[in-house]
Amino acid sequence: MQNHLFEFVETVKQDITPLQMTKPTRQYPYSSMILLGIILCGCVFIPLIVNRNPTQLNLQAVAQPPNGDFYFGTDTLGRDVFSMIWYGGRVSILIGLLAAGISGTIALLYGTMSAFAVKWIDDFLMRAIELALSIPSILLIIFLQAIVNQANPITIAVVIGCCSWMGMAKMVRDEVQKIKYAGYMVAAKTMHANFFHVLKYHILPNLFPSIMFMLVTSVSSAITTEATLSFLGIGLPVESISWGSILAQADKALLSNQWWLIVIPGIFLVITIICITQIANHIRRERNQTCSKLW
Amino acid sequence: MQLFWTICKKIVQLIGMLLLLSFVVFYISRLAPGDPLRSYYGDQVERMTTEQKIQVKEQLGLNQPIYRQYQIWLQNAIKGNFGISFQYKQSVSVVVKNHWVNTLILGLSSYLLTFLLALLLGVSCAVREDSWYDKIICNIGTALSCIPSFWIALILILIFSVNLSVLPSFGAYGVGQSGSLISRINHLILPLTVLILGHLWYYAYFVRNLFLEEFQQDYVLFCRAKGLTSHQIVWKHCLRNMLPSYFSMMVISIPHIIGGTYIVEQVFSYPGLGKLCFESAKYHDYNLLMLLCCITGFFVLCSSMLSQLLSIWLNPQTRKESRMNAKSPI
Repeated sequence: MQNHLFEFVETVKQDITPLQMTKPTRQYPYSSMILLGIILCGCVFIPLIVNRNPTQLNLQAVAQPPNGDFYFGTDTLGRDVFSMIWYGGRVSILIGLLAAGISGTIALLYGTMSAFAVKWIDDFLMRAIELALSIPSILLIIFLQAIVNQANPITIAVVIGCCSWMGMAKMVRDEVQKIKYAGYMVAAKTMHANFFHVLKYHILPNLFPSIMFMLVTSVSSAITTEATLSFLGIGLPVESISWGSILAQADKALLSNQWWLIVIPGIFLVITIICITQIANHIRRERNQTCSKLW
Repeated sequence: MQLFWTICKKIVQLIGMLLLLSFVVFYISRLAPGDPLRSYYGDQVERMTTEQKIQVKEQLGLNQPIYRQYQIWLQNAIKGNFGISFQYKQSVSVVVKNHWVNTLILGLSSYLLTFLLALLLGVSCAVREDSWYDKIICNIGTALSCIPSFWIALILILIFSVNLSVLPSFGAYGVGQSGSLISRINHLILPLTVLILGHLWYYAYFVRNLFLEEFQQDYVLFCRAKGLTSHQIVWKHCLRNMLPSYFSMMVISIPHIIGGTYIVEQVFSYPGLGKLCFESAKYHDYNLLMLLCCITGFFVLCSSMLSQLLSIWLNPQTRKESRMNAKSPI
């Protein structure tokens, strides 16, 4: 008996082709992770490095280009742009994370409910999503922001989160439809598992690879949306500090050629978003799933 | 025959969803706080007495309950009268008529140019796969697609309008030159660049992947064995096989392009529907907002309906799968 077992193992060993053994390993996106780590550490530990108050109005040094005293210059109110970028980075990144968390939760619940429901409820919920997608999201955000009428970071994060869950919900529904008829799901149902048990122990582990990419991308799109809203005058006002609110002064800065107010916060924004996108692409390639980034 | 009934069903769904959309927009815009009288009278609102305000509201029809206002609006809209814009003090249709041509020019030219350039770029990357050219273009493209479009617009204005003074930065044409083609093209260059740069890489990557899949087919090997050049294989044979997927992608992405033009119009003060949308939402100009949302909603719903029909027509598998999903053990 044992000889037969060893013979079996020998044959299995010979079946492995050289091509499988020389499969190229995926490279981690080292440069993106290092850059993102630098920006995050800077935002978190800024009081230890350069302790200058970002809200202090230095009225004797209004709208100065970058010099030795103010590393990135000052804006039209006299605030130091260098410290505004790091303190504002906290606000922007927190808004991104919160908005992504909210939209992910709503998308997960909505998609799973729609997948488990009766066919006509499923159709109705999907039509509702298409209806919500038919309004350009920027208009929806303007509406909700006008209704809420307060401009602090948490309300903006909630508004952005409530407007960007639709694409993810569609994808969640498609994925859950695929695993709905698996054996373990039927077994769980016969053992009277309720909705949240199935969600936590069966659906989430299966969905995690596909949803990870969309979650990480939604963080970057939430940061971009906050900057766009503040630039258009609807998001955070100029008094509060974030990357978008520095860019909100960009219209007037264009006329007087104050390039440091436009270029520098933009570069930080772009670098953060590129790093997050590279990490998301790495996650997608590693899991080898072709997730479509629905907007 | 079944396709005909599918189309009819989709058209009925389209009209139903348009009505629902207009209802939702009507309610939300009226429930939002803010004074519509401010857009009509500007800052004089603060000096008006309460009786005057009540009189004006009755004149404009704003003091009635919301469902009654919606009923009146719907009855007028079916006849073609969409009301008066508070800001421009003209009929809403006249205001939109002055602006929609600009948006059409910008939107259509950016749409066609984006897809044409994406095709060329995608083909050139696919043919030179894994070379330095491909790797560099892929990295630049991914980076470019992450940059917010308003920031690209600001940087371009900073370089070309403020520092070099070569290209204009606002408006659709110079003062008094609305008929001049050169002035229009001059004002279109920067907004078009921003729109194309924002969307190009997404579609070029899609084209690149489509062509890479095509190149793995057997007929390409046969064409090579026959002695055809790369140019002939790509443009005479592979292109025809990937065009159906490309066309469905083009139809799906119409709402995406429309949404992109809104922000660009706002940054460049380009007198189009996007700028009107922002103004009417910000200043509570209800009638204008309703018409613009209906127009936008109509385009988006039409394009999604078209894309669904196209995917059903191209892929009869989907019909089979929906029949399979109907039987379920749970």
